Amino acid sequence: MKLWAWLLVPALAAVAGTLPVPLGLDAYMPVPEANPLTREKVALGRRLFFDKRLSSDGTVSCGTCHEPERAFADARPVAVGIGGQIGTRRVPRLVNRGYGRAFFWDGRAASLEQQVVQPLANPKEMGDSAAAAARRVGVAEDALRDALASYVRTILSGDSRFDRFMAGDAAALNDAERLGMRLFTGKAGCSTCHLGPNFTDEKFHNTGAGRGTDPGRAAVTGRAEDRGAFKTPSLREAARTPPYMHDGSLATLEEVIDFYDKGGKANPQLDPEIRPLHLTAEEKAALAAFLRALDGKVREAWAN
Amino acid sequence: MLAAAAAWGAGSNGPHAWWSGPQVTLLGSPSRDGRRLSFADPATGALGVRNLASGSWQAVAERPAGSREFAYFSVFSPDSRKIAYAWFNSQGFYDLRVTAAEAGAQPAVLYRNEEAGFVQPCAWTPDGKFVLTLLFRRDNISQIALVPAGGGAPRVLRSLNWVYPKKMDVSPDGRWIVYDNFAAEGKPERTIFLLSTDGSEERRLVDMPGNYLFPLWAPDGKGVFFAGDNGGPEEFWCVRVEQGRAQGPPRRVSGALGRFLPLGITDAGILFYGVRTGSPDVYLAPLDNLTSGVQPISTRFPGRNGAPAWSPDGRRLAYLSRRGTENFGQDARVIVVLDLSSGQEQEVPAAMAHLERLAWSPDGASLLVSGSDGKGRGGLFLVHMPDGATRLAAAEHDAPFRGYEAAWAADGKRFYYLHGGEELRSHRLADGAETTLLRAQVMEHLAISPAGDLLAVGIGGNAIRLTPLISGNTARLLPFPGLTELAWGRELYAGRGAELWAVPLDGTAPRRLGMPPDRQPGISIRSDGRTIALTAGREQSEVRSIELPRP
Repeated sequence: MKLWAWLLVPALAAVAGTLPVPLGLDAYMPVPEANPLTREKVALGRRLFFDKRLSSDGTVSCGTCHEPERAFADARPVAVGIGGQIGTRRVPRLVNRGYGRAFFWDGRAASLEQQVVQPLANPKEMGDSAAAAARRVGVAEDALRDALASYVRTILSGDSRFDRFMAGDAAALNDAERLGMRLFTGKAGCSTCHLGPNFTDEKFHNTGAGRGTDPGRAAVTGRAEDRGAFKTPSLREAARTPPYMHDGSLATLEEVIDFYDKGGKANPQLDPEIRPLHLTAEEKAALAAFLRALDGKVREAWAN
Repeated sequence: MLAAAAAWGAGSNGPHAWWSGPQVTLLGSPSRDGRRLSFADPATGALGVRNLASGSWQAVAERPAGSREFAYFSVFSPDSRKIAYAWFNSQGFYDLRVTAAEAGAQPAVLYRNEEAGFVQPCAWTPDGKFVLTLLFRRDNISQIALVPAGGGAPRVLRSLNWVYPKKMDVSPDGRWIVYDNFAAEGKPERTIFLLSTDGSEERRLVDMPGNYLFPLWAPDGKGVFFAGDNGGPEEFWCVRVEQGRAQGPPRRVSGALGRFLPLGITDAGILFYGVRTGSPDVYLAPLDNLTSGVQPISTRFPGRNGAPAWSPDGRRLAYLSRRGTENFGQDARVIVVLDLSSGQEQEVPAAMAHLERLAWSPDGASLLVSGSDGKGRGGLFLVHMPDGATRLAAAEHDAPFRGYEAAWAADGKRFYYLHGGEELRSHRLADGAETTLLRAQVMEHLAISPAGDLLAVGIGGNAIRLTPLISGNTARLLPFPGLTELAWGRELYAGRGAELWAVPLDGTAPRRLGMPPDRQPGISIRSDGRTIALTAGREQSEVRSIELPRP
């Protein structure tokens, strides 16, 4: 038996009634008491997720932008909704959002139940109310909301080479990746914000990234100091899902690393954690290698 | 009261002292039969097992000759035959190991990973198959994990950002883990939570004002005991539990127990706990009358102070004062500034998780503080006075949590510090630019002359190197075996344990000064060169027990 094979056993061992999680993620996932996870709801949510009737013109489903083969994101810099309308922000990956505490780039939703209905009503995305969408697919509005949220909770990414390394397989990462991991938690300071099993603090930071004048978190809080702050995204599956930042303005991992190495982009609200890193070319390459080691296996709806 | 298979009594037996003295550490646990106590022996680094009735002990895991390895936290298995323990290994981080609780046994490594470089075994599952362990990762999260006692990958149940539980335990039916965590984000108070061992549920168990921590399951599984207070002295509490839910409000089950740390509860309902005694405090003394002139400072919190630092004008004294509950020697501290003329004290709210040393900037506007922040960065921080606004000065994730030793340059535009014990650096405040002044093996302790022209650096624990800061001068080495600290006033002062010596720069023999025999490291010389602030008062630990009432 290969070493990593026994490492997988404990993580894949499903506990009756609970969601089996891949290696590297917490066994505990917070689920609202009002919306317990059931296989029936998840199955309904999965069907609805890919149902284009949820959009007002029948052309867009959740899965149109959140493509399973792209870790439930897409390849465009910013979202495109009904009628080809162009949004202002990048489609976020949906992996591991069950562990989240703030949703959307600006955190305007505090739960998945709040989050999943907002794109339905957004005139640039799906263009109609949740109630109308529910009627079109023949379910109650609450059932639509709960089913979609339940399904999203089952979209998980783990069992990456990093996870195997942390579980005890010392050979899972090569030398460059291990150097990158050291930089990630050390000199580069990435883990100041990108931490934990899901590589995010679920908080909001102004890095100066982006082309435009998006107010970011300030649109929610009304506070000037939150201007240009966006939620820290998870880094799981990031390497294979470019482009990057909240508006897709950086095309490659290398561009992102260069951006942070220079200390982000100066602005009055720049987060004090963002400062020049003075990384060498070798260190930048190692960081990129480590980020690629965070790509794992994406699963959804109890399927491996 | 210590019968191995004794039935749980009525909880009427009062505190009983089992063990005191310099060997006592509070990193172990009692065996479930109440006969033995595991501990980390500070003298040898060994994992020891102490027979509580006879006072004899034996090492069950010893370090190789010449190594710097040592045992740390440990916990007995349910059958009292094995011990899971943390072991600081030869690579400089902690393994999780298990050994039979007898001399000569062969330990096994259960988990070793530098990226989770500190581990704290807290309890075993009742079937003895898993060790409930806290994993501390380098990204500064702690993880509640079940580590298979027979080998295999840990099962991480819950990750916690920038916080770690002080104690965890598994219920006797194996279904629930009890642990403490912050009651609300951004607040220092903790409370008690339950987490199912399959990861499917988490619940808050205690919901009342106050600070509650160090939870342990009652041996009959019908309740949870925990330490805490709601404004008064710290006491032991109990809440009844059924099906993972609290049954009624918690109730006090002890009087004030002093500065205590719960170690474990035996099957007979005996709580073993550690108590810290001793009252370290800051004293002032005229340097020309050290034998009779030593006086404690006036303070609202006597007996918990140290690390004094004089302000440049000699009117204020900053020091660190311990607050809150015991925490295995890493207690919460605050900065206090005492105005000597008015006697007023002011607490400075630095945004730091651990504070170790203070140094005033030459303009008196800020303190350079050694320690670490809440995001796991160790090093040096600038704390603005008096509002406590805190910013990184020279801090990084790989640095020790106690930070670096540092000294200000006379002009206040830069400071010097020892990085990693092998590099003396100069750090310019304006742009953060750093230069290396000296590389040497094992550099510890640093002081700068009042004129700012010489740095004294401890080398290898047995010499002081005088490093000129003005070009053209040459360095000199002054022998001083056993060096433990440095300070500079009218003369250069060097500590050797509790002793303090004046060290002439011309190489003549050092002169010993009269000091309290229980002086601790931490001195500061007033700018007039006449008054020393010092720390004295030895802290000790003692292991005691009380019989708990049934939940």
